Amino acid sequence: MTLLGEFALWISLPVALWGMWLGYSGGRTQRGDLVLSAERSVYAVFGLLAIASAGIMAAFLQHQFQYLYVYSYSNAELEIFYKITGLWAGQRGSLLFWALLLGFFSVLAVFQNRSKNREFMPYVTGVLQTVMAFFICVLLFADVNPFERLDFTPANGQGLNPQLQNYWMVIHPPTLYLGFTAFTVPFAFAIASLLSGRLDARWIQLTRKWILTSWLFLSVGIVMGMRWAYLELGWGGYWFWDPVENASLLPWLTATAFLHSIQIQEHRGMLKMWNMSLVLMTFLLTIFATFLTRSGLIESVHSFAQELRIAYIFLGFMGSVLAACVVLILYRLPQLRSENQIESFISRESAFLFNNLILLGAAFAVMWGTMFPLISEGVTGQEISVGPPFFQRVNFPIGIALLTLVGIGPVIAWRRATRRNLQKNFATPVIVGALVAAVIWISGARHGLALTVWGISAFVLTVIATEFWKGTRARSRIEGEGYALAFFHLISRNRRRWGGYIVHVGIVIMFMAFAGAAYNVDERFHVEPGDRVDVASPLGHVYTLTYEGLSINLNNGDRNLLWQAIATVSIEKNGEPKGIRTTEKRQYTTNVGDPPMTEVGVRSTPFEDLYLILSALDDPQAAVRADSEAQGLDLQVLVKPLVGWIWFGCLTLVIGTLVALWPSVDGRRVAGAVPADAAPEPAAVGTT
Amino acid sequence: MTLYVGVALVTAAVLLFILYPIVKGQHASLEREDDELTDSEARKRLALLALRDVEYDFLSGKLDEEDYRSLKNDLTSEALAALEEDEAARESRGQGEHLDIEAEIALMRASLKGGLDCRECGFSNETGSLFCSSCGVSLSSPIAG
Repeated sequence: MTLLGEFALWISLPVALWGMWLGYSGGRTQRGDLVLSAERSVYAVFGLLAIASAGIMAAFLQHQFQYLYVYSYSNAELEIFYKITGLWAGQRGSLLFWALLLGFFSVLAVFQNRSKNREFMPYVTGVLQTVMAFFICVLLFADVNPFERLDFTPANGQGLNPQLQNYWMVIHPPTLYLGFTAFTVPFAFAIASLLSGRLDARWIQLTRKWILTSWLFLSVGIVMGMRWAYLELGWGGYWFWDPVENASLLPWLTATAFLHSIQIQEHRGMLKMWNMSLVLMTFLLTIFATFLTRSGLIESVHSFAQELRIAYIFLGFMGSVLAACVVLILYRLPQLRSENQIESFISRESAFLFNNLILLGAAFAVMWGTMFPLISEGVTGQEISVGPPFFQRVNFPIGIALLTLVGIGPVIAWRRATRRNLQKNFATPVIVGALVAAVIWISGARHGLALTVWGISAFVLTVIATEFWKGTRARSRIEGEGYALAFFHLISRNRRRWGGYIVHVGIVIMFMAFAGAAYNVDERFHVEPGDRVDVASPLGHVYTLTYEGLSINLNNGDRNLLWQAIATVSIEKNGEPKGIRTTEKRQYTTNVGDPPMTEVGVRSTPFEDLYLILSALDDPQAAVRADSEAQGLDLQVLVKPLVGWIWFGCLTLVIGTLVALWPSVDGRRVAGAVPADAAPEPAAVGTT
Repeated sequence: MTLYVGVALVTAAVLLFILYPIVKGQHASLEREDDELTDSEARKRLALLALRDVEYDFLSGKLDEEDYRSLKNDLTSEALAALEEDEAARESRGQGEHLDIEAEIALMRASLKGGLDCRECGFSNETGSLFCSSCGVSLSSPIAG
């Protein structure tokens, strides 16, 4: 099976190249047979990559340690679940997995459009197969072939990094990859639009759902990564401005900008050129993110590759794509001119434009900070690392400006808005925002930045709530419906608008959570069994923690565990018992030379997390021997206000995106099926 | 041995699958299909979308009445032009079978051209409006129209 998989990977390359060539030439010569063959090659490549992936999985399951990849990321004792997910545990496998997902989305795109949008499809197929051929080339020729064999067959594998043995880590990379790869489809349609010369908003309408889906996967993937870091890395944070975190944030920022700017093109026929550039930029950034993760160019907790060859291949590909796109855009420049102009500085359009500029500013800052060490090394020979303080200083003002715009945008009318209306619409939200900030200030919180964020958040939430309220009330009055029904109809009649607002609510909730970090409590204690320590929460109550003692497990359980030292801590909140939490040190057989790993204990409540870290055992050797005198340890206690809101905000974001994605009444109208009673469109819509 | 059989089978299947259309002359369609929006329809849609935006923005208090009226006037004539253009395009294509859509367009034009004048403020509303878009008075009384 594994040999067959290796063979399948090899022949997928000529098939992909075939599809790429026939796609372009079939489009140029308008020959349907060539195009059909190209489209079939998309299915064939996906099938071949599925065989290749099955081959790798079989190698994992059958303990074929003569394969370097299987040897490096598993051993015989590994749980079967992690053997299956071994496909994306390391660089080699995850590149194959990337290609497999790209194949899946390509199949979906080709199948969806088998009898529509035919004028785009030859080029779409060509572009999809170009990207595919590139990834297969990387797999085969950049020293990252997952089927590479050792000269001998080791008795056992090296095992999987214990930190990766976590279900968040199992679903986080695939989710991100789904986001990355799905974005290839909008990119392919954009290029097809340039190549075929059909440059109206059609490609945007066709790919809106692809863009949203990709954006959703990116968002969820990023937050899952945060969740993993929070629970597994054991330092109490969720974001460290690590190059790979940044790399996944970059396409998210440009994709977010794109989601907003396409609305200007759809409503006003403007920004065609800008949207082309954004989709190109986002696509390149997804490739860049894959490259950063997989090339090992920049030090990061995520990077496991050191080969430079892959770096040159990636850079070469990105350079060629960029050059080709610039040439194409210049060639079509006359047709990319705007149909309209912005009528007023104060208008929805200009709010969207500001939003775009800010998001791109953020992307540029993050990019600069991420690449700076590399650039400085190239120029001065010295690698200067840029730490979180840089990113924070740059991104805090950007974040606040963005948050404010989330509140301003919805209230500004398209085309032109007047100052008087703005004053009228903003009065209540501004007062609410100021009141909330004042109340928090009076209750004792004095952190300027956090207060600003919370005040603005209250302002934005008031704006959005008012929008919902006004819409529901108008609908209820005009249609004579009850409020609940009116609310439901309001959302279902224009899912894009209201789904978008729900996403905004999710983002605001997450911003509020980030600001909560200003009130993190971090205390360190040395404790012996029976010791009680007090930690004051910023919310006013006091936690009393009792260290109950240490228990040791030796060679016990699965997952290659050598020993496990579990510290039990009982928790009281203002004297009231709140159960126990454990925090551990673990040593695995697979990393005996390294310091033991930490497992944290977390007690989550809606407003704060209590986060316990076993920082160090006084005497690990004695402790492992279960010496009752050696139970002393360093305990780090963190109180982290509002952390749980991040996950809650992300959930809200998912719900909002799903609302916007759901097939809508709007969509059916576009298809031409206008119900007769909806004919006086403007009047009917005035009610929504 | 099984490996060679497997390899041969996979290769043969792939080749057959992707070469078949060329050998047999099977063609994929490359034409724009009928149900897709034409350029004039897209312009019509954009114009109506703009009208809808203005209507919503005014209703939710984001637009001044003065701006609303002037914008609405401009956009209505744009929309009318787009509708007529679309109709012309449709006729030139000879699509008589889209009777329901024709009827819908006629209705839209009627609603855009001849509306109900409000008896209170004189604002001309679309047909089908229950209340005046300008002052909110009910339009359903016999005087209206």
